[in-house]
Formats: sequence, C-alpha cells, structure tokens
Amino acid sequence: MFNATDIYSFFSYLICYIGYAYIFKKLGKKMWKAFIPIYNTYELAKGAKRELDGRIQVVLNCIMAISDLVIRFLPESSLVYYIISLFRGTVAICVIVYQARICSGLCEVFGKNKYWVVIWLLFEGLTSLYWGLSKKIQPVITLEEENAADVSGVHVEEIEEGLTINIRERTAMEFFKKKVLLKDLHLTIPKGHLVLLLGGSGAGKTTFLNAVTGYEKADATVLLNGHDLYKEYESMKYDVGFVPQQDLMRPNDTVLMTLEDAAKLRLPGNIDKKERKKRVQEVLEGFGLSMLANNLVEKLSGGQRKRLSIAMEFISDPSLFILDEPDSGLDGVVARGLFEKLRAIADSGKIVIVITHTPDRVADLFDDVIVLAKDVDRTGRLAYYGSLEDARKFFKKDSMEHVLLAVNQKEEGGEGRANEFVKRYTKQMKKAG
Amino acid sequence: MEREIKEVKHKGRIAQTGIYLGKLFRMFIFQSDWKVLPMAAVIAGLVCFVVGNNLFVTMEGTLLGTFALSCICIWNGFFNSIQVICRERAIVKREHRSGMHISSYIAAHMIYQAFLCLCQSVITIQICRMMKVTFPAVPQITASVLVDIGITLFLTTYAADMMALMVSAFVHNTTTAMTIMPFLLIFQLVFSGGFFSLEGFSLKLTNLTVAKWGLTALCTQADYNHLPMVLLWNSAYKLKDIEINLDNKEEITNTVKDELSDVFVDQEVLNEVKDILVAEGIDLDKPLSNEGAEELNLILKREGIDVQIQGKKPVWEVMHYIEENGMRDELLLKSAEFNQNPSYDGGAFNVLKCWSVLILFIAVFSGLSVISLEFIDKDKR
Repeated sequence: MFNATDIYSFFSYLICYIGYAYIFKKLGKKMWKAFIPIYNTYELAKGAKRELDGRIQVVLNCIMAISDLVIRFLPESSLVYYIISLFRGTVAICVIVYQARICSGLCEVFGKNKYWVVIWLLFEGLTSLYWGLSKKIQPVITLEEENAADVSGVHVEEIEEGLTINIRERTAMEFFKKKVLLKDLHLTIPKGHLVLLLGGSGAGKTTFLNAVTGYEKADATVLLNGHDLYKEYESMKYDVGFVPQQDLMRPNDTVLMTLEDAAKLRLPGNIDKKERKKRVQEVLEGFGLSMLANNLVEKLSGGQRKRLSIAMEFISDPSLFILDEPDSGLDGVVARGLFEKLRAIADSGKIVIVITHTPDRVADLFDDVIVLAKDVDRTGRLAYYGSLEDARKFFKKDSMEHVLLAVNQKEEGGEGRANEFVKRYTKQMKKAG
Repeated sequence: MEREIKEVKHKGRIAQTGIYLGKLFRMFIFQSDWKVLPMAAVIAGLVCFVVGNNLFVTMEGTLLGTFALSCICIWNGFFNSIQVICRERAIVKREHRSGMHISSYIAAHMIYQAFLCLCQSVITIQICRMMKVTFPAVPQITASVLVDIGITLFLTTYAADMMALMVSAFVHNTTTAMTIMPFLLIFQLVFSGGFFSLEGFSLKLTNLTVAKWGLTALCTQADYNHLPMVLLWNSAYKLKDIEINLDNKEEITNTVKDELSDVFVDQEVLNEVKDILVAEGIDLDKPLSNEGAEELNLILKREGIDVQIQGKKPVWEVMHYIEENGMRDELLLKSAEFNQNPSYDGGAFNVLKCWSVLILFIAVFSGLSVISLEFIDKDKR
C-alpha cells in the first residue's frame, strides 16, 4: 500500500513538523499544534503575522490532499485523472506562492534576510529544524500581549434634531473568518455641527461613515432627526450626501449637464422642471461654478472638480453631509475656502462630517472631533468624541495632527498609544453613563 | 415617539433610463463614440473586397463570406461595449449609492447599444451593396432579402454586444476586460461550427456561441445547400496542365506521328517537320512520352519552328469535354449535393429559430449584466 516515496514523504514531514514545534515554542505557541497536518501551516502563518495567507494556505493544502487521495484511485490514462492532475498542478503553484509569503513573514518576525525564503522553499524540513533548534534564531517582533479595551455598554439617548449613532459592531467575513471592523461607537451629533473625523489609515473611518449612512449596515441604530436610517434607508438615502475621496464624475460631460443629471436623480420626481433648473443655478452659483457651466469636467482644475463633486451631493440639500478627504490635492488657500463653505453649510442647519489628514489649518472651523483608532485586535474603536479643545486636553497634545500621531501604530510612524486612549475614553464613557 | 416618515418619490426606472440615455447620446455626438460607425464601414469594405465576389454565389464563397460577416458582427459588438461599464465602475457605484437603479442603467446601455448595432448593420449591408455583392434572390422572412440579412447581422452584432456588456459589468477594470476579450473572440470563431470541423462534445459547444447562430442564419438565408460547389472544378482546373507520364505505358497513347498531325494542320509543313525529325533520328511511330515531347520541342526550336508539342493532358481534355457539352453547372450542383450541411436547411423556420436563439442570448446576457452589477456595492474600496 505504501511505497518508498510515501515513506520518504512521511519522514520529510516529520522532520519539518519537529522544526515547526520548536519554532512554535519560540513564538510562544503550544508545541503539539505543530504535529497537526495542514493546521500547523495556519499556526505558523499566524506566528509570521500572515494570518490571512495562512487561512488560504490551509484551504489550498486541503484541496491538494483531497486531489492526491482521489487520483490514487483513478486509472492514469483516464480523462478525470488528467483533469485532476492539471488542477492539482495549478493549485501547487498557488501553494508555493503562499508558502513564500508565509516564509517572508517568518523572516520579518525573526529579523532574517529575505533570501531565507528561497532556502525555506527548497529545503523546508531542514530549514524549519535549523530555525527551531538554533539559539541564534530568535523572534525580534513579539505579538502584543495587551488586552483590548472593554466594551462600554453605553447606549446614547436619541436627540430630536441631529444624528444619534449607536454602533455595537460592524463585522465582515474575510476568507471564512469573521472580522470585527468597528466596535462600540456611541455618539450624538447635534444639528448645525461641523465634525472632524480623525484616524490613521485602516482605523475604519470610511467603514464608520458607511455604517452611519446605512450604505453598509452594521449591528447598529442610527437616527437622523428622529428617523431610523437603517429602517427607512430607501427614502432617507436622499437626505444623506456622501462625497467620495476621488472625483467620480464622467470627464467628458459638461459641468451643467453633470449637475442637471445629478439633480434629476437626487431631487424628488414630482419637482417642477423650472424649479429644478433654478436649484441647479443656485448650486452652480453657490459653489462658484457658473462661469464654468459649459466646460467639460476633464478641463476643470482639481479645486473646481472637487467643488463640482460636492455640488452634486449638495443639490438635494441633505440634512447629513459627509465628505471623505475633500481637501486632498488642494493647496492651503483653496482648501481653506472649501472648508469655509462647509462651515456655512453646517451653519445653515446641516450636520457635516469631514475626514481630513491636514486638520490643523482649518481646526478653528470645526465644532467637534471624532477620533477613531485601531485597538490591539485591529478593530476600529472610538478613542475620543467631543470638542477640539477638550480633545487637546484629553490627548495632552497641542494640535490635531499630534493627536493623530499619538493614536497611530508605531509601524506607521505614530506613538502606538491607540489602545491606551480607547481604554481611557471607554472608561470615561462608562463613568458618564 | 411616532414620527411622520416623509414619503418623497424620486425618479422611477423609466425616467432614469431616459437620463442615462441622454448622457450616452451626448457622448455619442460630442465625444468619440461615433467613431465605431466609420470603423464598421472600413471593416465591412475590407471583408467584401476579399470575399465579396463569391458571397451568396457559390457554396465555398458563401461559407467563407458569411463566416467573415459573422466575424465582423462579433468584432463590432465586442468593441462597442467591452469597456463601457468597467471604465466608469466607480462612478456607477457612486450613482447607485445616490439612488440610481442598475436596471435603468443597463436598459439605457441596451437601447444605446441597439442603436449602434443597427447603424453598423445598415452600414455593413450598404457597403456590401456598394461592393457589388450578389445577394440571394429570394427573401425568407420579410419581403426583402436585404431586410432579412440586415436583421441577422443586427441580432448577431447585438448578441455579441450584450455578451461584451456582461463581461464589462462583471470585471472591475478595463485591463481585465481587454484580457478576456481575445479569449471570447477566439472561442466564438473556433466554435462557430461552420468553418472548422468539430465533433462530439466540441460540436455541442458550438450551440453556446453567437457566431454559430449568426452563421447558420446567414447560410440558410443564402440557400447554402442549393448553391453550386466549385471546389472540385477549381481544383481540377489547377491540374489541367498535368501530363500523364507515358513511360512504360506505350500501349495506351499517341505516336509522334499522330501528335504532329494534331499540331501541324498544313500538310507541307507537316512533311517538312517529319523530315527534320527523321534526320535527327526520331522514330515517328514510337509512342510520344513527356520526355520525348520536350526533345521534339528542342529540335524544332533549333530549326526555327516555335511550337509546343505536349504530352497527354487527360484532366484538361475531360474539362474541355464537359464544358463543350454544357455539363459544367450540372456537375457543380452535383458536387454540392454531396457536401450539403443539414444545419443550413429548413428555410424560414431555421432562420426564425436562429433569430430566437440570438434574442435569447441577448436576454440572458443583459439579465446577467444587471444581476452582476447589483453587487457593485460589495466592491472593495
């Protein structure tokens, strides 16, 4: 039943698994996990900080194992044998690629040169044994042992005129595993406020905004002026304007036609044509685009294009207005002008939430700041919500950019104190009830 | 507390289709979309120039020509729409978030693409007429052959167009779309079922291609199975100068004397030539071989007599005989009878069947476009 190749494979795997066991020990994992075929690759990948690659590798290895088993029972000349062999060959290429990724992660964790990846791929058993037994090879990056902040359990009371956000959790499935993207965000934003949304890359800013608008639903309750945005999404979505970071407009259409089509889509269907045209003209004038009405979008400057993109959403006069980095690519003067316009919109009784990475040049215009940060589980959490003045005191920083640096991860050049602030703010929330 | 929900109606699906249709036609007039029409004319002109002479005239010419016409349709259809959705996918996502109905967006594209395909089909027919392509005499469905063939060209182009639209809706960027397109194109051409001989499973696969149904409809409309087949005649014509090697086959052929009598009608010249050849040691009663004919030609040329004495050419003689007796056309039709394709039989019924399948393709492809684009919100940021 077993031939010489099978016996050779068995001993190769055994050597490899012994090596894995000692590597696991160095990584603070249980050694016996190294002897569970296929699963041990996942544990190794987790240790190499390549968890997703590990999960994919497990699936690929399962496919390989099943196809190996199936072709043992097939005659070599059959069409099915040929097809499965071809498929297996393709999967084997993927296995090598993912193995290389995991080995690359291991090199990072153990502070070794990336050339080791090649040695790992060619002589996996011996390399794992050497890495496991050698005292010279020790991990240089350790996994965070700090605990994530507790859930506050707070549920903020609904406000009549404004936005009430109670996000318990926002999850997504990532390759068979549930991932928590956001957790425990509770806040209320009164009408007429211009709010700054601050957070490092991957902190969940856009996920938070999508959850707030109901575009990507979370385990949450979001009320806008008393209306449930989730339950009444189809009618309420016209009351929410979302301006994306990129200027997503057809470049070969004119400014006027772009705005007219936006008006046709976003304004109520029974609105008079005359009234619609009047609204288009008002918005054109309001955003300083009247003179450019017949210009093609592709001919506009960055600032003009951004204003048009905002105007497209503003045409329906939404109560909640959200802008994702509206000042990206704009110089200071133009950006300031744009934020002053947003301040005016907020003053007209709207709620305006803005993401920006250069908040300090316009900090005086904002009422509040929301600081999002990744906790140790890499979940987006609320690190602070309140006025900018109080935020400076809370973080003991004199500018919003320094606040951002304080919550950013160390590998991003920040101070890596996100978890500390999340814990402190959660405690503060709990205390406040 | 119970609150009043404001019920504001926004533009419905039909009104939104109108908005997008307006946008697309603006792009057609003011931007480069109109360029697909002269491109269709150029492609049709090239194809007619190469295969137009025998299109709808002979069996081989019709198969080659209708295959080329199907290729034009598929090419035009693919190029019309392969990039239209994927190039503005992020914009579509934004507009969908703002209340755009995907079905309206696709419907607008379907109407606009139908207009493009119609224009391209009319242009192709017109170019064929200008290039003096002989169209079939009898219409199958409508009162006009041009309308019949026009409908087939339109449906083939439109089905290919909708297939490309579906690909454009599925993929996320133009690079992927343009990578997939050649594979689809090759699949359509190889599995068209008419031009390449396929068997078994491969033959069944042809049912899934737009090219097969377009080609079948065109061949049926051309009455392919009742056209003459010229392949045999043309091949025989190429063999007309081949002489039988008469070495070792003396009993079946002319002597030198006989051949000379055929070539030289004037008796005096004949006698003079015979004297020359006898003086050169040629045996006039010997059977004339190919090599012998060459030797005679050399001797006579040296003597200043420029004639070509040839060996036996049986193919030419048979062809000459058939033509002299008016049997050529009959032979061509007889030869076609052995090469008929039952798929191209059935007249109007078969044409209607092909059209129905093409319409089904159009419906399926457009439906899949809508379904795939409905998931646009799931796109990664």
